[in-house]
Amino acid sequence: MRWAKKPPTFSMSISPSDTGTPKAAPGGEAVIVNATYFDGRSALAHAVTLSLAGDVLQLRGHGIARDDPVTALRVSEPMGAAPRLISFPGGAHCEVRDHAGMARMLAATGFEDGLVVRLQRRWRWALASVAVTLAVVFAGYHWGLPAASEWLAFQMPDAALARMGSSTLDVLDRIALSPSKLPAARQQQLRDAFALLAAPGGAQTRYTLHFRDGGTIGANAMALPDGTLVVTDQLVALAAHDEEILAVLTHELGHVQRRHGLRMLIQGSIVAFVVSFYIGDVSSVAAGLPTLLLQARYSRNHETEADHFGAAMLKANGISPQRLAQMLEKLEAAHRAKAAAKSDKDKTATESQARRGGIGDYLASHPATRERIEALNNAR
Amino acid sequence: MTPEASSTPNGQIEFTGNGSEYFRIWIVNLALTILTLGIYSAWAKVRRLQYFYRNTALMGHGFDYHGDPVAILKGRITGIVLLVAYNGAFAVSMRLGLLILLILLAVFPWLLQRSLCFRLHNSSYRGLRFRFTGSVKDAYEAFLVWPIASYLTLGGLMPLAHQRIKEYQHNHSAYGTAPFHFSAKAGDFYRIYLKILGLMFLMGLLIPLIVYGIHLASPGIFDGFKSKNPEVVGKLIGVIFMVIMVFYLVFFLLVGPWFAARIQNLVWNHTALGVHVMASHVRARDLFKIYFTNFIAIILTLGLFKPFADIRVARYRLTHMALNAQSSLDEFFAQEQQAVNALGEETANVFDVDISF
Repeated sequence: MRWAKKPPTFSMSISPSDTGTPKAAPGGEAVIVNATYFDGRSALAHAVTLSLAGDVLQLRGHGIARDDPVTALRVSEPMGAAPRLISFPGGAHCEVRDHAGMARMLAATGFEDGLVVRLQRRWRWALASVAVTLAVVFAGYHWGLPAASEWLAFQMPDAALARMGSSTLDVLDRIALSPSKLPAARQQQLRDAFALLAAPGGAQTRYTLHFRDGGTIGANAMALPDGTLVVTDQLVALAAHDEEILAVLTHELGHVQRRHGLRMLIQGSIVAFVVSFYIGDVSSVAAGLPTLLLQARYSRNHETEADHFGAAMLKANGISPQRLAQMLEKLEAAHRAKAAAKSDKDKTATESQARRGGIGDYLASHPATRERIEALNNAR
Repeated sequence: MTPEASSTPNGQIEFTGNGSEYFRIWIVNLALTILTLGIYSAWAKVRRLQYFYRNTALMGHGFDYHGDPVAILKGRITGIVLLVAYNGAFAVSMRLGLLILLILLAVFPWLLQRSLCFRLHNSSYRGLRFRFTGSVKDAYEAFLVWPIASYLTLGGLMPLAHQRIKEYQHNHSAYGTAPFHFSAKAGDFYRIYLKILGLMFLMGLLIPLIVYGIHLASPGIFDGFKSKNPEVVGKLIGVIFMVIMVFYLVFFLLVGPWFAARIQNLVWNHTALGVHVMASHVRARDLFKIYFTNFIAIILTLGLFKPFADIRVARYRLTHMALNAQSSLDEFFAQEQQAVNALGEETANVFDVDISF
């Protein structure tokens, strides 16, 4: 930064009476500081002394003398043991390692460090910075990023959305799903029933409903960003009432309507970018893990949001949101039974399901089913 | 001849950076960066680099960094736009993604060449700037042709590609009028890479032992290979993932420092400034100790140890380097002049970009 901000009156610049009489520092003694001078054209180091005469810096060395008004000079920020650098017009500079002398000389001209330098000097401000950093990162993660990605996701044209995940169903068909064994009439009956339901607030969401045999996946339903809804035969069989199937579909439609797939993609990329930017050079494994954990919370929030959408849609069509709650209970029971049936040693899965209300809840990708059921029951 | 303020005539590099001092600079600038939505990061980078440069001394004189934060900000915006375009394109369609990837590959060497110019032009010692004179054509060879050849040969040409990149960087650097020379051959790089391959092979020998251990700890887990049950398969995938992670971590923490030490020594022991050869004698086991304790401390402090870690690594690596004088360094530096013409020419067409983060 500049040594002195305001240019002094011209009468004060190099006048013969000033030169040669070093200015007295506040302590009373004239300050003379040793330095090394480089002219910027050669790497030759010149040992010089610096002193002030009024607002003029006098530089004297073997065969060198220059006088510059301090307003024409720039002084580098203090950086611990590193030398202070004084830059002269024309590319020359001085290295000063006498920090005490330099400080006295700067003080004599009323020089003040910049704001950032003053912040960096005190532990108090460093700790305040830690607090600010943590607070902003936490707030950004909790509110800022979800809000930003929601906004961004809804800026995306429908056409672009339709391309997203169009190949996902093909992949699923190849590795996990097989054609539905439900009679075509039954499929059509459910399609028609769902088509009759009006979305809350008149929201128009394009979707296509597919039935598949879930195989080892079992009773399940999923939504892809382009509006592809998939329901497994096992889920249809598990439902005691068609309204329960419709309830699950409203939840899945909620994912599509709220553009959760795209929002996850945006949030995930940003979280990954920030985490790897911050600790990326430590280890990419160490960077990958927190990213996964941090994203789990977003997915959990999306489930809750889809539940809200589903409940609202059901209510708008005279169906109790409890139908969704009932179906969630059944799905959980079905998966728990399946896990328990596998082997006696396989208790961990069931236990972790039960423990979900605790610490694990923050990391779980779905909210604890119990909480979701309670929320839905209260949505009546 | 004016007397030199040199305390170490042998050209040993000194480093006076200090962890707690740098921590305050780092955290204050990080907070400002966050509060300005990243814009201040360019100014923070300049301050960070200045801290390291100015606290590094050779023969009693410090280095300096002169980068313009605005140029760095432009580079960062470029980098982020490219990154977002790249990530977003693949989400929209595979074809668009591949197109963007091709465009990125096509401009990347040019951006790297610009970055090298920027970095060296903005580095100085004793009032003279460093220079980078590598051509754009050579940049495409070093950063595109050889890496692609390395991929096509499944890494067989990787050591050669590495040597070409270092050769490009070091052979085209200059200080004042004195050029740097790089003399490490591809064979030197192959020797290091082959040893790493050997280490990986030794680690591979441990796999049967680990598999047997997992089998003892949890019998029946390997049924997951045959089973179609998602629970069993899921558990098996989890175990495999864990084993890969542990391997990766061990590899990263053990082989990483060894590789870093060998490459640093190889590169700098074969780099000369004029007639004076640089020397680097970093030891793998010392680097391992530093990396490992840094890694643990960074995790335990949720990242707050990062600035201390950076200082520790810089101090070790820098203080184990020297410029071995073949004749009087004082005389050498006294004769060194700013390469006025070349500098003027090149700054004129330097499109100020620094894409390195």
